[in-house]
Amino acid sequence: MTVHNLYLFDRNGMCLHYSEWHRKKQAGIPKEEEYKLMYGMLFSIRSFVSKMSPLDMKDGFLAFQTSRYKLHYYETPTGIKVVMNTDLGVGPIRDVLHHIYSALYVELVVKNPLCPLGQTVQSELFRSRLDSYVRSLPFFSARAG
Amino acid sequence: MADAALFEFLHTEMVAELWAHHSDPGPGGQKMSLCVLEGMGFRVGQALGERLPQETLAFREELDVLKFLCKDLWVAVFQKQMDSLRTNHQGTYVLQDNSFPLLIRMASGLQYLEEAPKFLTFTCGLLRGTLSTLGIKSLVTASVASLPTCKFQVVIQKT
Repeated sequence: MTVHNLYLFDRNGMCLHYSEWHRKKQAGIPKEEEYKLMYGMLFSIRSFVSKMSPLDMKDGFLAFQTSRYKLHYYETPTGIKVVMNTDLGVGPIRDVLHHIYSALYVELVVKNPLCPLGQTVQSELFRSRLDSYVRSLPFFSARAG
Repeated sequence: MADAALFEFLHTEMVAELWAHHSDPGPGGQKMSLCVLEGMGFRVGQALGERLPQETLAFREELDVLKFLCKDLWVAVFQKQMDSLRTNHQGTYVLQDNSFPLLIRMASGLQYLEEAPKFLTFTCGLLRGTLSTLGIKSLVTASVASLPTCKFQVVIQKT
């Protein structure tokens, strides 16, 4: 069980942060295009899910999975989107993504006077705290499973 | 801790606003901004100095006043006590905070070291103002070696 990578987007589609831990295959396109692709896909899936839902929507789009990995999604009312790719053994991790938002992004980026909002996060403290938090998760193992 | 967040956000904006406004980006303009910021801290400190002390007879000597700053003032404004107080017993005191709340969200180490001092100016004024209401004239400066630890140096002015 492991975490592959993590993206953080703001409401305008700007990729605020990207970290990877175990990624054996790259997308084959430049990073900028990869972020745009990811954001565009999320935007489309969100609206698709709400339109096609046969019942009233509660939380909206939560995750999708393929035969190799699972993509988890969490969005805040302010439009911040946390996207984490893990392997298939991992269940719902909404609370983990919420913690990344509230205890890491809000505490260390929003409250940091030197991190302008709407730009890629430069703070080393954020990067290192996020890294140690993800490594401490119960479903993260140092060897890619 | 909603109250702490309010002050932090306000303080962030104060520093940003003063920095954005000086049309002279050289050292002269920066000094103006620092003076304004320190002056604001001074006036807030003066008011806090009147409002905070609970027992009026507790300040028998200078050291008691400094201890009051480290304990009561720091707890009231930053919800924690100062980590260490040193003195040379000749009017100079060094107050050290190992995890200063206004710096703790920025970095843990050397990133942003150059920008850190302007976030300490208001607090220097705060200390100077509180001391002044309690009858002590002083000069307060701050220094940062590595975030989030910072030191405030208080030099008592003998008139």
